[in-house]
Amino acid sequence: MNPKVMIWASVVLSAVAQICLKHGLNRMRASSSQRSGVAGMVMNVASQPFVWMWGISFVAATGLWLLGLQKLELSYAYPLVSFGYVLVNILSAIFFHERVDRNRWISVAVICAGVMMIAGS
Amino acid sequence: MSSYQQSGSSVMVEPLPPVATGPAPAKGLRGVLTRWWVAFSASAVFVVSGHLLIKFGLNAAAAHPVTAGAIGKILHIVLQPEVFVGLLIYGLGSACWIVAVAQQEISFLYPLSSLNYVLVAGASVLFFHEAISSKRGWGLALIVLGMILMNRKTKGTAQ
Repeated sequence: MNPKVMIWASVVLSAVAQICLKHGLNRMRASSSQRSGVAGMVMNVASQPFVWMWGISFVAATGLWLLGLQKLELSYAYPLVSFGYVLVNILSAIFFHERVDRNRWISVAVICAGVMMIAGS
Repeated sequence: MSSYQQSGSSVMVEPLPPVATGPAPAKGLRGVLTRWWVAFSASAVFVVSGHLLIKFGLNAAAAHPVTAGAIGKILHIVLQPEVFVGLLIYGLGSACWIVAVAQQEISFLYPLSSLNYVLVAGASVLFFHEAISSKRGWGLALIVLGMILMNRKTKGTAQ
C-alpha cells in the first residue's frame, strides 16, 4: 500500500477513535453504577464498549501510521494529523451536538488549507 | 454578590451563576490530574518525545528490512527497542489525554494539541536533518493559525 494512503487512513481512524472515546466517557458519566477509588475509575472506563472501540481503532491507526511513517519524513506526515481537527469538529457537531460556531468553521478551513499545502510539499 | 442588588429597591437581581471552575480539586495525584490542563500538558510532552523515539526506531528498522508479510513487518518495527519504548511513552501520553478529555470538550482540546506539530517539526530538522520547504513551513503556519483561531474564546462558548 502507498505510505501516503496509510497515513490518511490512520488519520481518519484516529478521529473516529476520539469520537468513540468521548462517547464512551459520556456514557460512563451518565451511568448509575459508579465505582470509587483509582481501581474503580479504571473499571468504570474499562466497562464501556465504546472505550474498547477507541482502543481497537487506536491500535489499527497506530499500525498504519508506523508502516506509513517509515517511508515518509516526520515533518511531512506528522502535520497531516491536524486534518483530524476537521473531522473531529464535524463529528462532534453531528454526534454530540457540540456548538460549532462560524469562528470555528473558519479556523477549520484555515487548517484544511495548511494540510493541503503540506500534503503537496 | 451585594453589588448586583439594586440599592433602594426591593427587587433582588438574580445572582450571576458561579463561574465554572470545575469540581473542587481533590487531594494527591488524582487532584493534580483532575485539572485538565495538567493532564493535557503531560500528554503533549509524552506524545512529542514518544514520536521522536518512534521515528528513530523506524529509521533503524528500515536499515535492516524484512521480507515477511504485513504482520511480520509490523512486528519487526514494533520490536525495535526505540519504537517499543516510544510507543510506551506515547501510550502514557494517551492515558493523560483520556484524563483531559474526561474534563473538557474534545473540540476544544483537540486543536490545542497542534502545539505538538511545531515541536515535532523543529525536532525533525534538529535530529533527522529534514528540510522544511517554504510550502511545508507555510502549511504548518496555517495549521497553527487555525489552532489559534479555533481557541480564541468567544462569549458564551468559553469553557
